[in-house]
Amino acid sequence: MAIETLVLGAGQEVGKSCVVVNINGKRIMFDCGMHMGVSDHRRYPNFSLISPTGDFDTALSCIIITHLYCINTLFLRFHYFLIIKISHSLILYSYIFFFGIICDSHLDHLGALVYFTEVCGFHGPIYMTYPTKALAPLMLEDYRKVLVERRGEEEQFNSDHIAECMKKVIAVDLRQTIQVDKDLQIRAYYAGHVLGAAMFHAKVGDSEMVYTGDYNMTPDRHLGAAQIDRLRLDLLITESTYGTTIRDSKYAREREFLDAVHKCVSAGGKVLIPTFGLGRAQELCILMDDYWERMNLKVPIYFSAGLTKQANVYYKMLINWTSQKIKDSYPTNNAFDFKNVCKYERSVLDTPGPCVLFASPGMISGGLSLEVFKRWAPFENTLVALPGYCLPGTVGHVLMSKPPKIELDPNTKIDVRCQVHQLAFSPHTDSKGIMDLIKFLSPKHVILVHGEKPKMVSLKEKIHSEMGIPCYHPANNETVSVPSTVYVKAQASDAFMERCLKPNFKLHKCSSQELSIKTLTDKNIVPELQVINEKAVFIVEDKSKKLKVVHNDEVLVMLGEKKTED
Amino acid sequence: MGVLSAIQPFELHHHHTASTTSPLKGDYYQYLAKFKCGDERKEAADQSMKTYQNNTPESIRLISMQTFTSMMNEILNPSTPKSTVSSIFKTLIHSLLHSPESHHSQILKLITDLSSHHPSLAQLALDSLQSMLPQLTDPPSQLTIEYLDALVNISERPVEVDDSLFTSICLAASFPVRLWMVRNSGCRVMVRPKLLYPVLMGMTKEPYPCVREESLEALVRLGECAVFEEVSLVKGCYERGVQLLSDNEDCVRISAVRVVALWGLMLASFNVDMKTYWSNEVFAMLCSVVRDMNMKVRVEVFNGLGKMEIVSKELLMQSLSKRVLVLDQSPTEQFVLLASNVAGALVHGVEDEFFEVRKSVCQSLRALTVLSVEFAHAALNLLMDVLNDYKVEVRFQALETMHHMAINHCLELQENYMHKFLDVLEDNSSEVRFSARKIVRLMKLRNHLLFKSTMDVLLKNLDSYPQDEADIFSVLSHLGRNHKQFVDLIANEIADEVTASFEGNREFNSARMAALLVLSISAPFLNADVGPIPPVIFSFAATFLSRICCAFSDVMNRDTLLEYLIQKSSSMVQPEVNISNGEGQNPLAKDDVQNVAGNEMIHSEITINNGEGQLPLSKYNVQNVALEMKPPNDVGQHKQPVHDSVVLTYINYILVKLPNIWPKVQSYSANEVLCSLRHWKEELTSLTFDSSAPADASAFALLYLKIIKLVVEVWDHLVRKTEVVSGTVELEDKLEKLDRRAKELMNRFVGFSAEEEISVLELILLTYTLRLCRAEICSRNFIFKRMTIIYLRTESFLKLRSDVASGFVAELGNLIRESSNGGASCSSLAFDNCLKLFSPKRLMIPEGIRHRRAELSIPNNCPDYPLPFAPGLTASIPCDITIHNISSNCRAWVRMCINDGFTQHVYLDLQSFEVSGEVRKISYAVPYYRTPEVDSFNLKVCIGLESLFENVTPVQAHGGPKCELVLLCEEKIVYLSRVL
Repeated sequence: MAIETLVLGAGQEVGKSCVVVNINGKRIMFDCGMHMGVSDHRRYPNFSLISPTGDFDTALSCIIITHLYCINTLFLRFHYFLIIKISHSLILYSYIFFFGIICDSHLDHLGALVYFTEVCGFHGPIYMTYPTKALAPLMLEDYRKVLVERRGEEEQFNSDHIAECMKKVIAVDLRQTIQVDKDLQIRAYYAGHVLGAAMFHAKVGDSEMVYTGDYNMTPDRHLGAAQIDRLRLDLLITESTYGTTIRDSKYAREREFLDAVHKCVSAGGKVLIPTFGLGRAQELCILMDDYWERMNLKVPIYFSAGLTKQANVYYKMLINWTSQKIKDSYPTNNAFDFKNVCKYERSVLDTPGPCVLFASPGMISGGLSLEVFKRWAPFENTLVALPGYCLPGTVGHVLMSKPPKIELDPNTKIDVRCQVHQLAFSPHTDSKGIMDLIKFLSPKHVILVHGEKPKMVSLKEKIHSEMGIPCYHPANNETVSVPSTVYVKAQASDAFMERCLKPNFKLHKCSSQELSIKTLTDKNIVPELQVINEKAVFIVEDKSKKLKVVHNDEVLVMLGEKKTED
Repeated sequence: MGVLSAIQPFELHHHHTASTTSPLKGDYYQYLAKFKCGDERKEAADQSMKTYQNNTPESIRLISMQTFTSMMNEILNPSTPKSTVSSIFKTLIHSLLHSPESHHSQILKLITDLSSHHPSLAQLALDSLQSMLPQLTDPPSQLTIEYLDALVNISERPVEVDDSLFTSICLAASFPVRLWMVRNSGCRVMVRPKLLYPVLMGMTKEPYPCVREESLEALVRLGECAVFEEVSLVKGCYERGVQLLSDNEDCVRISAVRVVALWGLMLASFNVDMKTYWSNEVFAMLCSVVRDMNMKVRVEVFNGLGKMEIVSKELLMQSLSKRVLVLDQSPTEQFVLLASNVAGALVHGVEDEFFEVRKSVCQSLRALTVLSVEFAHAALNLLMDVLNDYKVEVRFQALETMHHMAINHCLELQENYMHKFLDVLEDNSSEVRFSARKIVRLMKLRNHLLFKSTMDVLLKNLDSYPQDEADIFSVLSHLGRNHKQFVDLIANEIADEVTASFEGNREFNSARMAALLVLSISAPFLNADVGPIPPVIFSFAATFLSRICCAFSDVMNRDTLLEYLIQKSSSMVQPEVNISNGEGQNPLAKDDVQNVAGNEMIHSEITINNGEGQLPLSKYNVQNVALEMKPPNDVGQHKQPVHDSVVLTYINYILVKLPNIWPKVQSYSANEVLCSLRHWKEELTSLTFDSSAPADASAFALLYLKIIKLVVEVWDHLVRKTEVVSGTVELEDKLEKLDRRAKELMNRFVGFSAEEEISVLELILLTYTLRLCRAEICSRNFIFKRMTIIYLRTESFLKLRSDVASGFVAELGNLIRESSNGGASCSSLAFDNCLKLFSPKRLMIPEGIRHRRAELSIPNNCPDYPLPFAPGLTASIPCDITIHNISSNCRAWVRMCINDGFTQHVYLDLQSFEVSGEVRKISYAVPYYRTPEVDSFNLKVCIGLESLFENVTPVQAHGGPKCELVLLCEEKIVYLSRVL
């Protein structure tokens, strides 16, 4: 028997996650993403490979969606209009930019779902976690609008399709075991990364596997680290976005960030932090709220945009999916009820004195953050903290090179005298995290997906050499087959059962002669003293071709005069 | 009881067959016992027990649950008679043999409870249970375990089990039975280690996770107490632990980590040559499971890492970096093998989601930083990050670790760290702040800018957290001691600010002033050179004495600090400071000193000589004082209300100054002295008190001052023979007053120590001498007689303490001996000479001093509402009397004087007073017998105490006190008017 893995998306590439696994005859599709960078048929996974006839209902047992990232949908609408208003020259960039964002932020795990279920016609169950289910329709709707209304593309699916699709979704909780059908059971494990992200464990018969989706092994302020049990896995399919990166301690970067902010406000300066409404914004807010609390700072922190309120509502609702810190403090005070964060009003912009302002969108690509930037940038005691990567073409990106002037358009030039602090976190695990997870789970085989080819190759080598686990990195539309565990039923004799119930062991001590032959390293591997179970058994095939397990005392009786060897 | 006895025949009749179904009868008596009381109850209970005992095995089966409950009640009831308990016990043991097995567990439970409540029966229970045990062991079953469990619970010491029983239970088919044995072996059940070890090793292969877990735990226990001589055994166990690190069950992995840590270290300590090698192995092994998904496993890992005794530097450094390090020199074979396992272990720990893990990392760093200085520097970077943690516990642990590092001299805070570190001083959690300040105490700052900013942060702290004052002062004093050169730099600044404040030119922020004073006075503490610190600073500091003395409590107590301040503040007397190496290095003191200042200067002995005589206190050894002033002492001082200690300090301060002014008296500048005396007196009278101790002390001081004042006034007349301006009457009056006051001083205060008593006696001798200089012949003999008595008393005290009499006393003694026939022969000139030798002793307020005083009030009496009386009949005067600090063996009287001079005394029976502590109270109607034939009269009432001090001329008033009375309160006037 074997486990066959067909990679439809994210094979040696980032984005468009879609993996179909066939375990003992059950086919599961993990994630159903789409590629945002292209607009032709390559955008979707090649579903015809699952079933040439298009009969997906029989070909697939279920679909499992690991996670999605909702922030950008919320931000998309908002962001798009503003860019057009601000500057002509930025429009071109803005397209790339926000599709880049989507790519990066995980429509790649869900994007093609509606297309697949409604257009291609799949009627089986779809599983996702509660937060994902709550946020998915919002996001899909936004995505559809962007695609159709802004880009003027042909409509691939409509709002009804989304509603229909969501009806097929079954929400699962963490560590809840779900019996999909008689043979197949799945279970979700916490994956960190984004709100509602999960790793899925699937078991058919004796074969078990885990598909990780994206995960994070180091905890955030607001989301915890991935957690999973030690399982006996035949196969682990893991993401490898940062297959070669090793990140240093996040603490150090946090400290630098806080120091910079503290220094700025204590000198009476203003701090601008351009962020998106969800995810990173919450993390930074928790970080700063804690710091303010600890240091008894009274400088106001403002949070612009109503979307934060909406985002915080989701976080408060889904407290079970956040980090230990937030869970710990939840009974006394909800970490998302920030004590030191005040409501933003426009008058704040011109109020003298120090303050900290979270303004959307990130990267200073428009909107409030750009407006604030224009006002504050000419002052030397202002600090602009950029949390995260800024795409080329945005003010944020230009700002990172610390130019004396920024030209927004021929008529608008901004003198930049402010300080700039960059702060880069990623919710993806690094290569150390991947290795640690593989080591902890010790599966029999590993398949890498969702990463760039050279990085995958190097990681693959590392896994193979350090842990001796066979590892694969199939390209799209390739199939990898690995053997699966199959247990064989056998009868056990009464004598054997009786012996099994009692402890039955003896200590074996290597003689000194034996030891002296061995080299030093061997000595370390083979303990001088070993505990050996005495349940030595023989498997006998009797006349009816059935297997039987007997105790070795019985063997002689069964075989009569025939002598057996050990 | 009538009802019950009425029921009895009916009940028995009702049960018809009562005589044969004895259990029922037993139950009946039980039931009866519940309702009866006293002897009857006991009887009923006994009877029920007897009935149970006489039961046949068959009928035992009928013992109901209810019976067990009532037995339980009897056992738990402490008033159950002994005999009943022992019969219950017999019944229980008996029923163990005869009742069905299903009952055994309840019976065993009862026996266990019974033994714990009645320890006298425990041994008996043990013996009987032990005797029953062998019958149950073949094959071992749940019941065997229950018996063993009862045995273990009853016995206080671990129960010893023989080998065959142990092995048979461990190899039993039933898994709970095995589990019990494994769980209890090595702690409550003693087994030979030689046998226990292989069995436990075998049990680690159990299919049941909880048995595996317990066997690993038992191995940990075994490793902690037993000593193994064979290296293979230790290695075998270690390796089994390593194998189980990858067990599928969380609980097994947790225990496996503990086994690996403990047995790994044992393995390492076996061979000195291989110690580093094996320690590294264990270190790497533990680090390799640092990314376990179970939080408790991770916590255990770091707990284990915290026990490491030796680890190679390369591996330690590797644990701080997630990337595999590229070493300068060629790495050892072992490092190459282990590096990837170790990589970033500590960083991961610090980043962990669970604060328990982060806390554990910080704790483990305490042990690890000691192993390598280079590692300590690198780890500090990590710890600085942890200071940002949101959990107080974690920040606290990080600081504690840094403190630990500082003690071990491996903490080097660079300037960029200092900034962060100073932030922590302002943390809103008090324990974090305290911990951070602990580190500041040990710090040696590099430049004065850092010093200044540290100082500023501490001063700011004082504003934001006034509750931390004592601790902040203490830190400042350490800071000052450790950085004299920087204090010197800002000394003038401080002096200006303080002076301006004290003179009222600036807003007076007392906390800040005190803090600045602490800082400046601590700088020359270990150094003779005062430097640029003006002496006035020290006298300012003296006014804050009680507030700041805790800052120096590690090296000196309040008195010594005061002395130090006075010494430094007086510009006339230069202190003589000898710096020499302290006598022998006391290991205890050394540890303490490390905490105190961390430099060797502290070993120096400071001797301050003062002009007039040395008090034992004036010579102190820093080391010894440091030892005496242990933290509990410190805490005690904190709890004392600040105000009281301020008062006490102030009084002491004044008293200490007294001897200093004496030369001025002798040098004929009495007016000046009188002026300052008056000033002090005024200040003393203006003090208010929260509690009695300082009030008593100040009463004493006030009286003392008054006496001194009178002495000074009289002195001027007598010794200097100046012309008496205002006439002899006034002088006589003053001498009279002096006499009275001196008596008061002797009689109205208790709780002197011998030394203080001598000072007081000397003062009284002085007053007599003064009178003798002056007095006419008539009273001379009398006064001389009294003086002799006082002198003898002084002498005996001196002898007792084997002290040398001061010049004055000695000279007086000679005089007295010479003129044994009476004072008449002595010329006043001789006494004059004595007087010249006098100088007051330095006196500190005795700690236990008590002021004997009384409060008297006559309720509802004033000129408008007089008390009624009928002439010739006894009038009763209602008095509310409160007396303080008078023991019941004293003789107290109420003295009533009428205007015509007639005095009546009424004895107060102190026994009849209502006592609360040192205060006695009574409301007492005092009878007055001799009411005159007038319409109204006034009575002066007061309370006096018989003076047992000088029994010279007994007052022979009929029925009155035998000795002179010392008045304890002001006279009260009682108004009486005739009943019409």
